[in-house]
Amino acid sequence: MSSAGKQAGIENYGAYIPITRLPLSVISGKAPKEGDAEKAVAWSDEDCVTMAVTAGMNCLRGVDKSRIDSVILATTTLAFSEKQGASIVAKALNLTGDVKTTDVSGSLRSGMLAIQQGIDAVKAGSARKVLVIASDCRMGAPKSGIEANVGDGAVAVVIGSENIIAELTATASHANEMMDVWRRQGDNFVHTWEDRFINDHGYIENTVAAIKTLFTKTGKSAKDFSKACIYATDARNLGSVMKGAGLKPDQLQDAMFGKVGNTGAAFAPMLLVAALEKAKAGDTLLVTCYGDGADAQVFAVKGEVKDKADRRAVGFYLHRRRTVDHYNKYLSARDLTITEYPSADDQGISATVQYRNRDENLSFQGQVCGSCGTHQFPKGRVCVRCGSKDNWTPAKYANNTGKVLTYTHDAFYPSPEPPTVAAIVEVVLADGKPGPRIHMQFADAPAKEVKTNLSVEFAFRRIHRAGRRPNYYWKCLPLQTSTNNVGGAA
Amino acid sequence: MSYSQNNTEGYGLKNKVAIVGVGRCKFGENWDRSEEDMIVDATYLAYKDAGIEDPRKQIDAIYCGSLYSKNGPVEVSEALKLYKPITMVLNYCATGTEAFRAACMSVAAGVYETVLVVGYDKPKDRGVSGPSVNIRDVRNLPATPAGWFAVCAQPYFEKYGATRTHLAKIAVKNHHNGTLAPESFLKKEITVEEVLNARMISSPFGLYDCAAQSDGCAVAIVTRADKAKNFRSDPVYVKAVASGSAADPNNDPDFDFLRWKATENAGAEAYAMAGIKNPGKEIHVAQVHDCFTLTELLTYEDLGFIPKGSAKEYIDSGYFELTGELPVNTDGGLKTFGHPTGASGVRMIVENVLQLQGRAGPRSLKKQPTMALSHNIGGFPTGCAVAILGIEK
Repeated sequence: MSSAGKQAGIENYGAYIPITRLPLSVISGKAPKEGDAEKAVAWSDEDCVTMAVTAGMNCLRGVDKSRIDSVILATTTLAFSEKQGASIVAKALNLTGDVKTTDVSGSLRSGMLAIQQGIDAVKAGSARKVLVIASDCRMGAPKSGIEANVGDGAVAVVIGSENIIAELTATASHANEMMDVWRRQGDNFVHTWEDRFINDHGYIENTVAAIKTLFTKTGKSAKDFSKACIYATDARNLGSVMKGAGLKPDQLQDAMFGKVGNTGAAFAPMLLVAALEKAKAGDTLLVTCYGDGADAQVFAVKGEVKDKADRRAVGFYLHRRRTVDHYNKYLSARDLTITEYPSADDQGISATVQYRNRDENLSFQGQVCGSCGTHQFPKGRVCVRCGSKDNWTPAKYANNTGKVLTYTHDAFYPSPEPPTVAAIVEVVLADGKPGPRIHMQFADAPAKEVKTNLSVEFAFRRIHRAGRRPNYYWKCLPLQTSTNNVGGAA
Repeated sequence: MSYSQNNTEGYGLKNKVAIVGVGRCKFGENWDRSEEDMIVDATYLAYKDAGIEDPRKQIDAIYCGSLYSKNGPVEVSEALKLYKPITMVLNYCATGTEAFRAACMSVAAGVYETVLVVGYDKPKDRGVSGPSVNIRDVRNLPATPAGWFAVCAQPYFEKYGATRTHLAKIAVKNHHNGTLAPESFLKKEITVEEVLNARMISSPFGLYDCAAQSDGCAVAIVTRADKAKNFRSDPVYVKAVASGSAADPNNDPDFDFLRWKATENAGAEAYAMAGIKNPGKEIHVAQVHDCFTLTELLTYEDLGFIPKGSAKEYIDSGYFELTGELPVNTDGGLKTFGHPTGASGVRMIVENVLQLQGRAGPRSLKKQPTMALSHNIGGFPTGCAVAILGIEK
């Protein structure tokens, strides 16, 4: 029924930017003040997979998950050389069992390449809808210039052929091979050759070349674009590309340097989503990305997402911040504190235990008793209330809210900012009735904000690194609304 | 009233078994003592107490309890070179009382006549100051036990108006009592201010709200009640030993966070078995599980010593102090003995035997008690055991 050459484009979007901001003044040992340049940093319980899951949840609000045929995770910061990230993301997002999972990695262009790949698949008829998530969590060496420029974040889009809000109408590429920016296997930090060389002959030259090829292919010129979403290594070199391409400053989509930073594989897609949040039908967007070559794309804006005001994307998260007041907290959160002994380690959580508990731990699934209606998490065989056995229907709680019944501040749980809040949370079901009670940690919340009866939502986080592997489970955090989205100081 | 829903004849333990000898070693950070050393110290004190001179002929079986055992029951049989039927019992922090319960049942059933109960643990060989926490799965928080036991604090405080100061007074009381017990670990008087200002462990528990980790061993020797006077003239009779469990409070859909249900369940069974109608009056002295100060506070109410919600007034009036109406933790409890898990329940039984026999020295009460209760609770908490002893048959 599908035929090649049909329309394809972005139907929906979501994003995630960690609440934690590291002011650049704090890196250099000064006290932070409001208005300082800062960058978004993934905290100790976050990584590219957890950020991808939250961006994916935000993107899939109101989307029929059963229609997602394929999920592509684009990142350069996977925890594993051999072990997929997309499979974890698909499980945490409760996607169907027949979803195709793909990682695209190795290049800072992988986010936009994954979007193109999704569009190609829909156009070719090999997928109905593709969820593409770009998420990255790169580090520069402590106190380096790169550290000040990179930030962490994720962005997700649904690609399809039905309710397209932005259609990809043209692309151009410019291949390039040079040793400009790299991380070897095992490297913690981004390495580069000399700054002027890599920007002049790498980033600027190739990006401008890709844009000019695009102009030639499409017959368009700089003035035809409503907004330019330009991937950049930093704000200064971004200016050089704008100038080289003949773009005017008022066409520039804010690259968020000093707010978020360069989010790696997620950066260009994040600029595109930020532009879509403000765009209107008829606009034309230019998007470029760079990393071992450059690509330029044209997106024709066709409309807006239906629930734009409620959508959690770049605008929502830009205002949701808490600042780190000491650089050591950041170092500790990113496991960069020097210690004689590695953190306690063993073979980690049993893989067979993880396998049996994957519905609970990754998909946040429990079950409801067919005899008495009691919800139970973790699952078990026998109902805690009526005692009936094996009479269960699965239930999913990731998109529900919850209510804090009781809590404690645990000063001993390893954390860059103890105490860790552990709470017993009662899930609130869609009909307002009580769901299961679950013992879980708080994420993102200053301990003093936690109270009994506080309303919470759930977030997929990295709980610990037993076995030197990321071990994922769900946490709760205060329910985010458009009005209470400002965090406190860290 | 029957203690068991399916045993309506009430064939329980009351007056069938007696304690004829007790002993406890010095509790503490016993860097220079092994498990075997502590087992020998406490057991030979109990032999002496029971007048046992030839244990190989006089002891029929051994029940032992340990949570941290490296080698299992062989630690006990090899320490004592006593090769008898031996069973190791495990039920988290109720392990000590559970070993005692199993021993009493074996005697009451007529399987054995005289049985040795050895409760011990040596957590201080592990090289960490906190308790062990098993991370079985990623969702099992490696929080401390303080975190598990703290979940009742906020709801209880909000409902009944108790505060950290009431918890602090429990710690102050137990520290005082511990200064009077020769075998206790911490012998230090503390003040309410010191408790409130100590570093936080898991709110609202500061350092002094938490029991210490220590090494220790306690031993009791039980025999048939009708033959007890062959050992000593003042045997202590077992009135009841009961076990209770409850749903994990972290998941229980019906829990109110104002009590520990396992304690209520074990208490009800123990009172039914012992024939106790009014525990607040009939129990004269109690050793309860003060792993955290709040556990002791909830236990006053969960065991029916006082009405639910009234603990703060009773604490303020000194009701549970050594000189009060119902002295609790007369030897300083887990607070000052520390909590070598398998030992604690048996250590409490040792203290109750000494109190009932009028051998508690400076810890003697203003009125000689004739009925005593001890209580352990453990897990998340999910399991509890209660023992009631009396000097009169």
